[in-house]
Parts: sequence; structure tokens; C-alpha cells
Amino acid sequence: MKRRVFLKVAVGSCLLAGIHPKAFAQSPSVVALAEGQDYGAITRNVISALGGMERFVKPGNTVVVKPNIGWDRKPEYAANTHPLVVKAVVEECLKAGARRVKVFDNTCNDPRRCYENSGIQAILKGLKNVEMKHVERERFRNTKINGSFLKEWELYDEALSADVLINVPIAKHHGLTGLTLGLKNMMGIMGGNRGYIHRNMDDALADLNQTVRSRLTIIDATRILLDRGPQGGNLKDVKVLNKVIASTDIVAADAYATTFFNLNPQDISTTVAAHKRGLGEMNLSKIKLVKA
Amino acid sequence: MKITSSRISQLIFLALFIILFVNTEYRGKDEISAAINSFFRANPLVTVSYILAVKAVAILLIPGIMMILASAILGRFFCGWICPLGTIIDLITGKIRKTAPLKFLKSRFKYYLLFTLLAAALFNVNIAGVFDPIAILVRALTFFLYPLLGYTARSGWAGLYSALGEKRDYLDPLFAFLRDYVLPFRETFYPLAFLSLIFFAGILFLERYEKRNWCKNLCPLGTLLGLTAKLSLFKRIPGKLCADCGKCKEVCPTGFDRDTLQKSDCILCMDCRLQCAFKRVAFPFKGIPSIKREKAGDSQPVMGRRVFMGSIVSGFFLSRVFTFQPPVQHERLLRPPGVKDEKDFLKKCVRCGECIKVCLRSALYPDYFKAGLYGVFMPVIIPRLGYCEYNCNLCGQVCPTGAIPNLPLEKKKKSVIGVAHLDKNHCLPYARKINCIVCEEHCPVPEKAIRFEVVEEKDHSGKTVTLKRPYVVEELCNGCGICENKCPLEGKSAIEVFAQRRRLTNT
Repeated sequence: MKRRVFLKVAVGSCLLAGIHPKAFAQSPSVVALAEGQDYGAITRNVISALGGMERFVKPGNTVVVKPNIGWDRKPEYAANTHPLVVKAVVEECLKAGARRVKVFDNTCNDPRRCYENSGIQAILKGLKNVEMKHVERERFRNTKINGSFLKEWELYDEALSADVLINVPIAKHHGLTGLTLGLKNMMGIMGGNRGYIHRNMDDALADLNQTVRSRLTIIDATRILLDRGPQGGNLKDVKVLNKVIASTDIVAADAYATTFFNLNPQDISTTVAAHKRGLGEMNLSKIKLVKA
Repeated sequence: MKITSSRISQLIFLALFIILFVNTEYRGKDEISAAINSFFRANPLVTVSYILAVKAVAILLIPGIMMILASAILGRFFCGWICPLGTIIDLITGKIRKTAPLKFLKSRFKYYLLFTLLAAALFNVNIAGVFDPIAILVRALTFFLYPLLGYTARSGWAGLYSALGEKRDYLDPLFAFLRDYVLPFRETFYPLAFLSLIFFAGILFLERYEKRNWCKNLCPLGTLLGLTAKLSLFKRIPGKLCADCGKCKEVCPTGFDRDTLQKSDCILCMDCRLQCAFKRVAFPFKGIPSIKREKAGDSQPVMGRRVFMGSIVSGFFLSRVFTFQPPVQHERLLRPPGVKDEKDFLKKCVRCGECIKVCLRSALYPDYFKAGLYGVFMPVIIPRLGYCEYNCNLCGQVCPTGAIPNLPLEKKKKSVIGVAHLDKNHCLPYARKINCIVCEEHCPVPEKAIRFEVVEEKDHSGKTVTLKRPYVVEELCNGCGICENKCPLEGKSAIEVFAQRRRLTNT
């Protein structure tokens, strides 16, 4: 590391630490929350509230940013992560010195239409060292999971080999699991017959998230889908919240996001299962909320 | 090397044809260029058979009608200047050693073929597309050659991955161009690939008997153009082989079967003019030809009354032979979105394969015999292999005859392909008391055509479980088939789409 970079990082973190001393406390779990109509700005705010992207991404790192791009829906329908949120996360990674930022999702609808209509492909176009490619079948690697439900599964090599994986879901309703948040968003790195895990989603997601950890979870709640998720399609089911939350604890992030829907963390069985597995904190009274 | 203008034109149109073919694909825009299907819309055989079968004229057919008029003035220039299949034949025929021409093709065979097809169309069985040269070419490309190209390139690329692993990414910019602009996005293989190939390869095989064998002796489009070309205002002079040379007979790809040039066979390539050592050949404007004079020194097999009557009879028989439709399979006969009436669809479809080529999710496949022999090569949806994407109406946009109507998206979303039915003996929450509802999640209808009810039940071990059991709201289902496609059960899907083109309930 060059001296100048070191100084920058050191000074920068000291400054940030000065602003948010609590953010650096290792326990309890911290959830940063920002609110506002500038989605790029609030995304940057939650990241800096957690200590800045430099805390997670080191110069030269390869970073995977995994938004939800599952559906052929425009951003206002709240089926995919908002493009401005994704862009802000990607830019922060680049600023922190990432060598390469990879953005992808194994989509449910036609991948070309999803990439296009989510608005994410267009907004990332032209950014240097950022790639947004369609998943290629040969890159799914059969991976040992040894979980309670999933023993092994095909996972995407880029997610496995990345130095840092940043999970950027959108908060929305889901028929089977109630809500889909950070834990569920990781399904996007799975290949094969993914519908299979619907028969035991709670354990499957805990197994998956135990194997591939999200270094940082940033939940897009700029607008949320209240019903007929996960793909919606009806603007009446969309509620604009103008909020983004972030946490290094994926369960804490998911737990806090349940409150946006007037639910409790224990209503969402995937959150409960992950908490029991020791993947994070779901008790809201034990989660420290930092407003950014 | 001397080259004719017709050859330059041929190469330009072949390039254009290939560019249009490759771009019959979703490229990030909901609308696809109307030029995509121009080779079919400017196709007189398609036009005439459509008019005979449907007994009406459609705006989409105007270019075809214009082509007929142009041929009546200029002659059979389409075959020598435009037709991409003709160009391909010309490009390879030099490499094929010729034996003697096939005798049986030298009779009136081509007229019988053309008029039998047209008569069958008149009797409501339009199978002209099976023998249309452009359709034969597009089918061979769509169903066989293009997927093969994609497969070859992709397996090479995948092979590099097993050799290099993630280091392959350094080569990605090289592959990106191919992937984004040349190769098919989908890795789909098609049934009837072999039959499409047999047609195409058969035409090339015919070249070992004589030059442009297909064009001269079989092609129904060429024959049709040849008939209109008899009216043409241009005529090659001299009209016969010159006694002192006669080289035109070797040079000419089509018209000099005998000593007199057959006007209906001349494709105006004008190679004879270029090659003539004495500069005798010209194609001057001659005004309206007198049919009588034409007939005088003419011994070619003509389109006589006998051919006409014979074709009407054989066309009638052909149309009856092809009409059987098996009822059992009928219920799974899922046509592209917007197709309301099967009979109407059968009359209008060219079997060109454009809709199958453009279909985003590989929902459409060329049919064998689901609709009887009549339906061969026509598009059907096989939901287990691919579903109809809710926000896409590209198939209607590329269909050259409107057999698949070009519906506005909002209308297309509501047009009914079929209706999904659950098989409760198979579906997990019913049959095995296990949660699933993958179908509900994927149902694209905003109001949800698949919903679920929550019930408490004892599972097979006696434990009380909360189950979400899916059900279909038939009034909302458009039969897109994503539920059948995504059903995670291996083998038979627990939810299947059955044909039903009209809502049975009031809407």
C-alpha cells in the first residue's frame, strides 16, 4: 500500500469514526438507516455510517455487487433493486479502490429483458472496471454446502471467488416466505432447479448464507412491494418509503426491514431460521440503529 | 475478372438477408424493425397463396403485390438479382460436377407443383410455405445452422473456461462481439431440424444434375414469377442461340434449355451479355409483347388447360389429405399469443420460422403433427421447454402475414393462449403436504392468475403443517406457461396449460 493511500484511508476513517463512533463497535449488530429522496445520496450515507466502503473493500479487490434483477419490471414496480442504489454502491466500491466490480443476477424472466428494464444495465453503462454480464451456465460450480437441507448445489463462480460480496436486495413481499430480503436475495447466485428449495426455504437459505457470506447487506427500501410479490406488476401494491438500510449483519438487516411492513422479525421464518443458525441478530432490542 | 451487376446485387441482398436474419432477435428494445420480415412480405408466392386461402387482401401484402407488378414489367429479376437461396446456389454450383439433367423434371412438373399448391390454398389448405424458397432457407438457418453455429461457438467458449477458469475473462472482450451481435442468445435445438436440413441440402444436391436445377424446374415462387415475366416489357436479343457461336447455352444458368430463350426462365442475370465475344446480346425495351408471337416458335412445356384442371383436382385431393387433425393432441396445441382461430391460422401461416427465431424464451417450436400433417413446421408453444414472456410481443411483430396478429402489448397480455390446470395428484402441497408455490411466484399477471390459500393440515407423519395451496383463477390466466415451465417437479409438471383460445367465462 502506498503511503498516500494509507494516509487517505487512515485520515478518512478517523474522520468518519469521529462522526459515528458507535459505528465501529463490534457488538451489538448495527443497522444504518438513511432517508431521503436522493437515492444515491442516502445509499452513500448508510455506507459511510458503517465506516465507509473502505472498511469492506480494499484496493485491488474484486467485488461482486448482487442486486435483485430477477424480473422483467420497470424500477417503479418495486420488483428489482433501484438502479440508483446499485450505481451508488458500485461507485463507492470503485472509490474504495476495487479493481473490478461485477454486477449480475440469475434472473427469473428473460435475462436480457430483466437487465434492460430494471434500468441497472443502462445506469452502469460506461463505468470503468464495472461489468454486468449475463450468467453463463458453465460457470456454476458444484459446491459442497453440507447444510441441514442443501448438501451441495451449483453456485456461481464469481460469487465464490470474489474478495467481497455485497448483497443489495430490495425489500418486498413474497408469497411463500412472507418477505424477500437479504437472505433470499442470495438465491441469485444459485444455478440448477432453484424452485426445488421452495420445499424447505428456511433451511435452504440458512445453508446457502452460511456457505457464502455477504460482507455487507444494503437493503433498498426506496419503494417496497406490499403484496403480490415477488414480481408485483401493480403500482397499487407499491409504497414509496425513500429509505435505505445497511448492515454487516444480514439477519439484523432483514430483521429491521420487516418493520417497514408493520411486521416483526419473528413473523418471517427465513429470518428466524438464520438467526437460530447463528448467522446474525434478529432481536430488534439488541440491534443498534444508526441514522445517517 | 468481369462481374455482372446482378452478381453484385445478389451479394448485397444475401448480406442484407443474413443481417436481417441475425437481427430477428431481442436487442433491448420492445419494438423490432418492420424490415425484418421484408423478404417474406415481398414474396409473391406468399401473397398469392394468402389471397387464395383467406380470400381477402391484407395491407401487409402490398410489397408482394408490388413485386408481382415489377416482375410483370421487368421479368423474373427476383431470381437472378435478389433471391438469397438462388445466390447461395450460384456460389456453390461451380464446385459441383454436373451429370445429365433429370428427365422427369423437364416436363410440366413445376407447373403442376405450383398450381396444386395454389389450388390447395383455394380449398383452404395453404401449404405453399413448405416449398417457398425463402422459407426453406430461413427454416434451415433457424432450426439447424444457426443453433449449430451458436452451439459450436459456445462450447468452444465453455471449453476455454474449463481450461483457463476465471482467467478466461481476459478474453471476454474478444468473445463479447460474437455473443452480443452474431450468436443466438438462446441455446435451443429444434425438432424438425433434420427435415429443414433435408429440404435445403436436397436443393443443393439437385445442383449435380444441372445449374439452378431447383430454380428452373421446381421452385414454385420462381415458376410464379416466370409466368408473370412472360408479360415483361424487356426481351433479350438475340432470342435464339447464334448459329456461329452458341456459347450462351453454357453460360446461361436457366433459360437456354433449347435453342430459343425461354422468357419465363430467364432470370436476367445478364451473364450472357457480359460473356458474349461479339457484343451481340442486349436487353432492350420491347413494349408489350404479343402473346401469339411468343407462342409461335415455342416448344416449351406450357401452362395449358390440362395443367390447370389437373392441378385443381390434385389440389383438392391434397387439401383433403392434409385436413385430418388428431383430437387428443389438440388440447395441447398451444399457438402463439393472439391467434384466435386455428383454421384461420392454418390458412395464414407461412411456416417461415420467423416467430420461432425471435421468440425470447424459446417457447415456440416447429410442430410435427400436433395439428395433423397440415400443421408441419407451424409454431406451437411447448411450455415445459419455454414460456411466453409476458411483456413481449415480438412474434406478432415479425409475422409476415399477420397470422400471429401484431397486437399492442396490453392486448397481447390479455390474449389467451390456453389455461393452466393443476394436477393435485402431483402438486407438492396437495400430494405430499410440502410447501412450494413456485408457480404462484412466477405468474406474471399483476392480479395473479395463480393464487394460494393457507390451510392447516396434518402431514403424512401426523405433524400439523401450514400449507400454501395454489389454485388457478381461470378468468385471469392467459396460458403463458411460465408456471408449467418453472414447476420444480422433475419430469411431468404439476401444472399444465391446455389450449383454450377464448374465455369461457364473461369478461
